[in-house]
Amino acid sequence: MDAASVIPTLRAKDYKSDVVPVWCPGCGHFGVLSAVTKALAYLKLPKERVALISGIGCSARLPAYVGAYGFHGVHGRALPLAAGLKAARPDLTVLVAGGDGDGFSIGGNHFLHACRRNMDMAYIVMDNEVYGMTKGQASPTTRPDWAKSKLTPHGTGIRPFQPAAIALAAGASFIARGYSGDPGGLTRLISEAIEHPGFGFLHVLSPCRTFRPEQSDWKHQVHRSDKGPTDDPAEAAHSIQADDGMTLGLLYARRLPVWQPDNRATATTADLEGAFVV
Amino acid sequence: MSDRLSQRIESVAELLVHALELEHQSAECYRQLAQALAVHHNHAAAALFGLLADMSDARASAVMARAEGVSLPEIAPWDFKWPAAGSPQIDCDHVEISYLMTPLQALEVCLDKETLGREFYVLVASESPAAGVRVLAAEMAEERRERVELILTWIRGERGVATRVPEDLDPPNLPG
Repeated sequence: MDAASVIPTLRAKDYKSDVVPVWCPGCGHFGVLSAVTKALAYLKLPKERVALISGIGCSARLPAYVGAYGFHGVHGRALPLAAGLKAARPDLTVLVAGGDGDGFSIGGNHFLHACRRNMDMAYIVMDNEVYGMTKGQASPTTRPDWAKSKLTPHGTGIRPFQPAAIALAAGASFIARGYSGDPGGLTRLISEAIEHPGFGFLHVLSPCRTFRPEQSDWKHQVHRSDKGPTDDPAEAAHSIQADDGMTLGLLYARRLPVWQPDNRATATTADLEGAFVV
Repeated sequence: MSDRLSQRIESVAELLVHALELEHQSAECYRQLAQALAVHHNHAAAALFGLLADMSDARASAVMARAEGVSLPEIAPWDFKWPAAGSPQIDCDHVEISYLMTPLQALEVCLDKETLGREFYVLVASESPAAGVRVLAAEMAEERRERVELILTWIRGERGVATRVPEDLDPPNLPG
């Protein structure tokens, strides 16, 4: 009998841990936490078969709030940690959570290679265009004229990082955008990212209530895609480049070879020990 | 993002699943807000959300009791027939929430959520093609109305007292 068939059906709240979130009241990340637990419940994934990996930042606290296995790693290194885990334990459902700073700046290089490596995992980036945990500095996705940080009082003057376009250029096989204030839609996208065979990149617009209060207007700016996802990279490139960055939904999905190392042992422990004898 | 109820609720079982989800989600939402505000030392607002969470739990138990013996369908989180993108009550879009909110502001948030919940039942009571669904939805709308009235009473009471704005112990480091 399969293990999944003997576990009782769990509700979303059963996937939450006992740790109380320390996010600011009103933070968009609460919506992402809710959607993650709803997706896990919908997919009926046993908690002990799920691992959440993160780096550093407000969003990276997510694994602590989910009652599955979790690893809160170092800044920007969530993806290589997750890749190592997935390589060693391909049977696990691996989710990676982080923010725009962790994922696109400190971990930007890992993001590119995770896209092209296409390991079977879901990467949820909660983008609020600010480093919130360190009290409000501009991040890679901050618009150039945002002048509300003492570090960049005149704005950064730098064009923002374009997550979806860069993921596509780097060879990602699944690119979607969600919004933390759209619980049903976000739950569906997380479920699809988990079920996608390969690297499921989900860019989530998740407002920072404290340092970017103007993002409350996002709820009026987001809109659903008026067309379905494409599997044609050229078509996806055109639509993503023409997009205003607020289109929600699955933007691109394509079946590409999934990278998973062969875990067959090629040497015994004794062989390895012998190799290190001096 | 919001759109009109695109599909009608056609069975009592389907309505009960929606009602359960609404109460479970509102309990979770209120409790989450209570915990988050307590973490930020805003105990007055936290207490109010905690109270509303308990009331939603009680409502969920009542719906469960009503659903006894009814075979409830399983509905995917994105397939609920809410009038807007999120459920009427949770929406997970707490943009009006602040760690510095006063009890009055907390009550106003609760009033909005409870009113949206009531409007959902009113809509079902007027648009469902099934008479049984319309009757049950009307009962639920009435129960919601009582809760809305209760919160309105609390709001009137709160307006009569001096505003208690919590002290900001760690303000955002933003230029003035």
